[in-house]
Amino acid sequence: MPDWQKLVRRRLSGLAVDFTEREEIHTELAAHLEESYESLRTKGLPEQAAMQQTLAQVADWQDLRRRIQVARTRKENIMNDRVRQLWLPGLLTFVLSMGLLELVQKFGPRPFVLDLDKGTPVLMFYTSWLLTLPLAGAMGALLSKRAGGSPRILAISSVFPVLPFGVVFLIAIPAGLLIGHSLAHHIVAAAFLTMMFGWVLVPGVALLSGGLLVQLLSRRSSSPGVTMN
Amino acid sequence: MIRAGVKRGTAELAVLSILEDGPLHGYEMARRIEEQTKGALRFTLAALYPMLYRMEQRGWIRGAWETSSSSGRRRRCYRLTPAGKKKLSPLRKEWAELFGALRRLTKVAHA
Repeated sequence: MPDWQKLVRRRLSGLAVDFTEREEIHTELAAHLEESYESLRTKGLPEQAAMQQTLAQVADWQDLRRRIQVARTRKENIMNDRVRQLWLPGLLTFVLSMGLLELVQKFGPRPFVLDLDKGTPVLMFYTSWLLTLPLAGAMGALLSKRAGGSPRILAISSVFPVLPFGVVFLIAIPAGLLIGHSLAHHIVAAAFLTMMFGWVLVPGVALLSGGLLVQLLSRRSSSPGVTMN
Repeated sequence: MIRAGVKRGTAELAVLSILEDGPLHGYEMARRIEEQTKGALRFTLAALYPMLYRMEQRGWIRGAWETSSSSGRRRRCYRLTPAGKKKLSPLRKEWAELFGALRRLTKVAHA
């Protein structure tokens, strides 16, 4: 009986994966060939014919080596997918929304200020900025969709600009409560609520509305059917 | 909607479906698929393993080395992951849609 391990190692030489992984692939493929060969022999095929039929399973070893390599390095592709589907659209959405905020602060109308109570932080809305945010959210979702993002990734990409604020408020304010003994707790709690509301929730809803609109429109425009290629 | 890559999709559906019954190594997987489809679907080594590795990287299946108690051979057995189980249902739906569409089409053609 042929040494299948040796045969596979020779024919797949140059497989660019790490040593342990390469050895495992050789062992696995050799075991498959060995079982195929034994099965054919059991059916009564002579050695030579069984050998030929077994080896006929791989018409082009170089092509097999290339395809295994591509499949095994898929981790990198997943990383690339994540960058293209989430990080890049998210960061662009962030840059666009912050740029719009800067413009609104310099050239736009004064913000709408809601003074809830004396002594507590105020709630401030840049209304014109909020009105532009669906556009930024739609851009994030569109870029993510073009990169093949799932509906969940599309939604995250569109609300990406408020995520850093959310994280900061969720960490900084409770930390302030623990550290800043000089501050009255009700003021810190009120600041937390107003900031979360004014800088995370309301802009988040505006961004998400744009993202959801993109999802809705793309669902409508994609006709059901089979794409053969 | 049925997505592209019909041939690859069929193969992936076959592998996920056969692994739904329990873990199998590559050779046994190919043998059972051929047997259960009465020879309509055949996987050569060259077709099977790149696909298994790709599906493993996607997290649909997981391979682990096991030693057969009867032959003492070491084999890499694959089993479905929760992500693979989740993938199976929409894949089945897509293929049911495709075959339904083809059935309707061929009926019209013969009418």
